[in-house]
Amino acid sequence: MTSKRPKPLPPSTSTLLFRDDPLGATVADLKRRRLLKGAGALLAGAATPFMFTGEAWALTEPLPITLEGAKRGGTLTAVIHPEPPTLAFFVNSATMIGAVASKIFDGLVEYGPDLRPRPQLAESWTVSPDSLTWTFKLRQNATWHDGQPFTAADVKFSAEEVWLKISPASRRVLQFLTKIDTPDAHTVVLHLSKSTPATFGILDSLGTPILPKHLYENTDIRNNPYNNKPVGTGPFVFKEWLRGDRIVLDRNDKYWAPGQPYLDRLTWKITPDVSGRATALETGAAQYGERNPVTFADADRLATLPNLVVSREGYNGYAAWFWLEPNLRDPILAKLEVRQAIAHAINRDVLVKTVWGGYAVPATGPESSLVKAFYTPDTQQYPYDPKLAETLLDKAGFPKQADGWRFKLNHDFIPYGDDYRRTGEFVRQALRRVGIDVTLRGQDLPTWIKNVFTDYNFQLISSWGTDGLDPQIGIEQHYWSKAEAKGTPWFNASGYTSPEMDHVIEAAQTETDPAKRRDLYFQLQKIAQRDLSLINLFEFRWFGVWAKNLRNVTDTASHSRANFARVWFDKA
Amino acid sequence: MLQMTSGIVGRIAGRIAGRRVRRRLIQLVLVLLGTTVLNFVLLKLMPGDLVDVIASESGNVSPQYVAELREAYGLNHSVAWQLLHYVGHALRLDLGFSFRFGEPVATLIFERLPATLVLTGTALVISVLLGVLLGVLAARRPHGFVDTLLSTLATLGYSAPMFWTALMLIVVFGVHLEWLPIGGIVDTNIAHHGFGLLLDRLRHLVLPAATLVLYYVAVFARLSRASMIETLQEDFIRTARAKGGRPWYVVTHHALRHAVLPVLTMLGLQSSALLGGSIIVETVFGWPGLGQLSFEAIKSRDVNLLVGVLLLSAVLVVVLNLVVDLLYGLIDPRTRHRQ
Amino acid sequence: MKKILHFFGQPSAFFGVLLLVLAVGAALSANWLFPGDPLDMVAAPYQWPGATSGFPLGTDLMGRDLLAGLFHGARVSLYVGGSVAVIALVLGILIGGIAGYFGGLIDQLLMAITEFFQTVPPFLLAIILVAILTPSLTTIVFALGVTAWPSIARLTRGEFIVLREREFVSASVAIGASDAHLIFIEILPNAMTPILVSTALLVANAILSEAALSFLGLGDPNVVSWGSMVGTGREALRTAWYMIAVPGSAIALTVLGLNLLSDALHTAFNPRLRRKRGAGVAPDVQAVRL
Repeated sequence: MTSKRPKPLPPSTSTLLFRDDPLGATVADLKRRRLLKGAGALLAGAATPFMFTGEAWALTEPLPITLEGAKRGGTLTAVIHPEPPTLAFFVNSATMIGAVASKIFDGLVEYGPDLRPRPQLAESWTVSPDSLTWTFKLRQNATWHDGQPFTAADVKFSAEEVWLKISPASRRVLQFLTKIDTPDAHTVVLHLSKSTPATFGILDSLGTPILPKHLYENTDIRNNPYNNKPVGTGPFVFKEWLRGDRIVLDRNDKYWAPGQPYLDRLTWKITPDVSGRATALETGAAQYGERNPVTFADADRLATLPNLVVSREGYNGYAAWFWLEPNLRDPILAKLEVRQAIAHAINRDVLVKTVWGGYAVPATGPESSLVKAFYTPDTQQYPYDPKLAETLLDKAGFPKQADGWRFKLNHDFIPYGDDYRRTGEFVRQALRRVGIDVTLRGQDLPTWIKNVFTDYNFQLISSWGTDGLDPQIGIEQHYWSKAEAKGTPWFNASGYTSPEMDHVIEAAQTETDPAKRRDLYFQLQKIAQRDLSLINLFEFRWFGVWAKNLRNVTDTASHSRANFARVWFDKA
Repeated sequence: MLQMTSGIVGRIAGRIAGRRVRRRLIQLVLVLLGTTVLNFVLLKLMPGDLVDVIASESGNVSPQYVAELREAYGLNHSVAWQLLHYVGHALRLDLGFSFRFGEPVATLIFERLPATLVLTGTALVISVLLGVLLGVLAARRPHGFVDTLLSTLATLGYSAPMFWTALMLIVVFGVHLEWLPIGGIVDTNIAHHGFGLLLDRLRHLVLPAATLVLYYVAVFARLSRASMIETLQEDFIRTARAKGGRPWYVVTHHALRHAVLPVLTMLGLQSSALLGGSIIVETVFGWPGLGQLSFEAIKSRDVNLLVGVLLLSAVLVVVLNLVVDLLYGLIDPRTRHRQ
Repeated sequence: MKKILHFFGQPSAFFGVLLLVLAVGAALSANWLFPGDPLDMVAAPYQWPGATSGFPLGTDLMGRDLLAGLFHGARVSLYVGGSVAVIALVLGILIGGIAGYFGGLIDQLLMAITEFFQTVPPFLLAIILVAILTPSLTTIVFALGVTAWPSIARLTRGEFIVLREREFVSASVAIGASDAHLIFIEILPNAMTPILVSTALLVANAILSEAALSFLGLGDPNVVSWGSMVGTGREALRTAWYMIAVPGSAIALTVLGLNLLSDALHTAFNPRLRRKRGAGVAPDVQAVRL
């Protein structure tokens, strides 16, 4: 089944939206596209969208993506952890909530493995030459799970009440959305006051959630009872949620795509114990686990089994990286030599091998090498060199005291789980070897959030974030002085203020020439690596585990956001 | 549900009409009120709040979003205001709303309560029965072979940390022998019905209950052994023996009733540990009960939910102690008229 | 002298003390036998016991020496156990003694406080306190000490209630002894025996609770504790279960030693206890755990 292609766009806008393409094509393709302006040549397949820059680790090939011979039938049992606290994905955009909600709700578009949009509830779309007016033609035969027809009124309602008022990501990106028109029941027009290239990256079900107007109008949306028994337009209908045990979704027999979905039922089994997840996948009790469901050792082991696939594919849209963030308000860490010493003291190759099982690669800067459109390796690097680190610390005015230590340092590792804790332990040992008396502070998440982002009560923390399809979405907030917001998580906590960096960032926000914009972001990376307000350690390489005969799982930019309408069991 | 319980308790109390019982009920209300206030304040001392957690999970928020959430959840008021607000609702038997899970607190608690009760109830019943039996057996000939064997095993079971026992049971029975499932409360892959479902649930109950039993059996066995030995040396037992009663009859009819008293006291003492111990077992086995819910609530600073759980725990403790008191009175007439 | 020999003659005393000596010995010799940081990654990870020379108990999943961890973990466990016992004893004896001696309103007030602590599941309370204060050995000791004193208080109070009616107390009152003198010099020494017996149990429970907290990830991340070793090893349950078996056995054996010791002490003091029966005190006082 082929999806309808969007109408070819006029060259001027395509250069802005597609050629600029923060959605990661290969370097070769990028060059080609510059020459073939507006040819609208989409990539054929996902042809190795990333490069293996690190160690080889145990991975297996999934079956090729196809709908040939697709049969109905089968229950897919998936392991999930932690349990979603709620299914109100438009209030809380945590990944596991979205993983479940994305199967229940459709969005305007969905993103394929090449990170380009494909029609979902929107059959087609056009953008005006000045890119301030976006027109979406909606499907006529889509219905809500309770039978009510899906219309433009639902989109308008969602845009006004949810995108602009509640949903965290869309509020930031769509800040210039001023008006929404519905000229007829199946057409929606968005009016923007300022052009925002990043908009085209959040039009999926989780980025711009579409809720049923007839169930949410005039209610307290955040506390609406339907939040935990959702009614959507997606391929799966919510059946039941036994808290602490499982969430069950049944096939939507009235789904708008004929013949889809293929799966009869989708059961999310809440399995907090990591060994339990590995066992479930191994014995076939579960057939799918998304985004690092098992330990790396288990992943290597499961990859050798004939009935399972362990693969990194299907996560191109989820590039993320890990860093150490110093508090520049602290007099010790304010010294550049100290930060450089810390960078030199950590052996990142060993770190990604021992703690992350090879499922990560050392980073050269804040931008992930997976986001080809904006990545440059041409930045200052800090290779592992403990002797150099010690020299730098001496130079900075922190020689070894009589007891052998130079100074005390608190390291508050991000409390996201065992792997992050062990990374913290690794950093501790590495820094102690060069004479820094590191004390780990193991706080739970709320304490950590408050200490780091509200009180700025820390010296050195670790953290991670997604690069986003565009540096404006994921990277800017850590380097822009105006992004500093006391009490708001994930914004500039180091206190970094650099007029040079601010200038680069602000210029890039409004730069319309894609080549110039790209150069500006190259400059951002250079300055970032020179100033070391973040000590960037490594890029993640997420993996998923699923049954070998499960097809089309990777036909997406990110499993956690795909609706699984085209996933089927190939029992052949 | 809370209304129903207090109604029933009231009626029972009226029927028994003991001064002690009425006083106990007043104590109950005071304790509950005091516990609520103290717990609430204590929980509010924890750094960070629910909004911090939600905002952090959302990954991409704005200061306005954070402020709005605080306002929506009433977290921008002072602790004193929040406390009064909570107590006001609690007195109307409204335990509040959990903003983390999007459900009323009462619903969440009573959803998870049966799982915990099934687990700990089964474990306790087996432990008491088995423990008393073993204790009596050991007490018949103190320091004999049977006694030494049972005592050593009991002390060992009592010494091993519960999380370790749980994990070792999983390794042996779940991983290597593959006789029993390693977690969860029911099989998700196959939908069982009727008798099959019961069997499946029992299979999942074995290991978690066994973990608790291995510990509690030791407690009750040691206790009843010591108590039995002491009772058997009492004068009234010598009298019964002198009157020519058969040894086994003397033991069960006369001694046991008295030896069991400390076991009852221990049951009362352990009632508050019911919830705490279940945290470990439920976490290791993925058992969807109140213990796991409490732990999750602490991690996400869901104060409404936690105070609700602690309130329930206090109610359970006081009620259980009341029951123990009554049973004491039934078994040992001497205590019935004591203050 | 005869009493000491009599005491050690019991098998439980002998084995209990032996196990404790092993644990204390490990703790004291840790820095000498295994200098350096037990958290250092010194070898390849996932080595089974005996697989690599120099690592008789193998390595964990970060390549840390399990034997070194065992010895250093002994220090942590015994430190926590001892400190918690001290706090619980001081608080418990003070509160219970004062309540039992004075009776009346003071007694009711102190008992109300004690009852509050007993309605909150002690382990849950410990978790909350540690979360408030951020986990470190100091805060863990504080949190566990605060949750452990109620049983000592109850015990002390029971003893004081009985003892204050005794003749030797009235005799002292007759010669004009002060309250403080009566509490600390006259009554307390006589009340000590059941309290002493409970001390071994206190230490045992503290060790188990600390292990449980570390297992859940709420321990001090700067030290190796037996509980944290089990927690780390949990991930490798299927393939490398020795990572759990080794530290867990250490906990079980140390606690076993303490329990055996407590039994022996109890039996040794039993004749005296039997004469002091009254007020419905259970013959075997067990501190409530978890």
